[in-house]
Amino acid sequence: MSEVAAPTSAIQSPWQVDRFVVVTALVGFALLGGLIWLETAPFMVALFAIGTVLGIALYHGAFGFTAGWRNLVVHKRGAGMRAQLLLFGVTSIVMVPLLYSGQPGLIGAVAPVGTSLVVGSFIFGLGMQLGGGCGSGTLFTVGAGNLRMIITLVFFIIGTVVGSIHLPWWLDQPGFDPVPLVASFGVTGAIVLQLVGLLLIARWVSRIERKAHGQVASDELLWKQKGQGFWRTLITGRWPFTWAILILAAGNVLTLAIGGAPWSITFAFNVWGAKALQSIGVDMGQFEFWQWEYPAMALKDSLLTNIPSVMNFGLLLGAMLAAGLANRFNEASRNKLQGRPFLAAVVGGLLLGYGARLGFGCNIGALFSGIGSASLHAWIWFACAFGGSYIGIRLRPWFRLPN
Amino acid sequence: MNPAYRKGRVLAVLGAILILIVTDHLNSPTFAFNSGQGNVQTALSQKDESACAPCGAPCPSTRN
Repeated sequence: MSEVAAPTSAIQSPWQVDRFVVVTALVGFALLGGLIWLETAPFMVALFAIGTVLGIALYHGAFGFTAGWRNLVVHKRGAGMRAQLLLFGVTSIVMVPLLYSGQPGLIGAVAPVGTSLVVGSFIFGLGMQLGGGCGSGTLFTVGAGNLRMIITLVFFIIGTVVGSIHLPWWLDQPGFDPVPLVASFGVTGAIVLQLVGLLLIARWVSRIERKAHGQVASDELLWKQKGQGFWRTLITGRWPFTWAILILAAGNVLTLAIGGAPWSITFAFNVWGAKALQSIGVDMGQFEFWQWEYPAMALKDSLLTNIPSVMNFGLLLGAMLAAGLANRFNEASRNKLQGRPFLAAVVGGLLLGYGARLGFGCNIGALFSGIGSASLHAWIWFACAFGGSYIGIRLRPWFRLPN
Repeated sequence: MNPAYRKGRVLAVLGAILILIVTDHLNSPTFAFNSGQGNVQTALSQKDESACAPCGAPCPSTRN
């Protein structure tokens, strides 16, 4: 997520809602949902609705990878990071057995392990800190009207298209086929192994926090937001991490059950960019990536039949709705974007896009869904992206971005 | 406090996105199929179960 759009937990009195934004988001939801219903199939409408709920959860939960990682490195606070680990653990417990239940048509988020993954995820991590968000973070902050993140998104899309053109070359560098942990350890063994891994990281995070502050603030385990009633918290945010964790986990599992594959975001950016280039006469079919079966199908057919695109549209509208309910739409764009922060959005966006394509996804598609699928590549992605993010955090002051 | 955005601008951006989505759809095989053309191949629920990654990349072992 972005560091610039998180709703505050401060008590807002009186309760104000941005009616224009809320109504616009609902009309958009009805129009696009109706079109998807008429032209595709009911399960696509369900996925569109899930995307919308995920957008609300990301915004109201201020659930962030980028800020969570930075808070650990800079402020030695680990609640955000532990919330992510909890999310991965909960999802893995449900998703791994579902994937390997023998039900036909379910595909996990597994990917090759090699040079492409290592380089891509490292670049992505670097881009996260300069661009101001990961895949989901960029999208939900754009939905909430953040102008800086629109710049990041545009260059994110450009980066994914360039990455798609280069990916075949990267795949020819040293690497090997996907390693599903279930193949070596069985379903239970893979889940236990992953939970142990997540627990060890959580202990490391807590140790850093305890060393710096003398105690661990376990905000990730709160069920209730201080100072606000349940309904007001539900509608205007900010949600406790636990709410966001449960909804994001349920959303990803439902996406797998309904769509046949776990939640992913950045492939849609690839398709949007390639379609834009095609519309101005570029023959994308000349590039190897776009000759592969799935990208070729996605490029040829309607965006409304592409699950990541449909869910992304829902996510954008969900974040817009949530920002309207919180009366904070476009709030992060009051300051004019110029100079080095603008450059950071451009460079960050390009790195995010290029890295996402080489690394087989973003924090959602590669990390969250990857661990949910018990794939080794997700763990390597995590380590390399965190390394890149660490460098990105050190570079932020030069771009005049606050740490 | 002044509003942080202009309503017209928000509507224009959303309208433009909707037009792009609809234009893309009107030129797609799915729309042609829905309009009664039987000889088009649509890709509802696009998936490639033989791929090695969510983006459809092949396995490194299958590459020369």
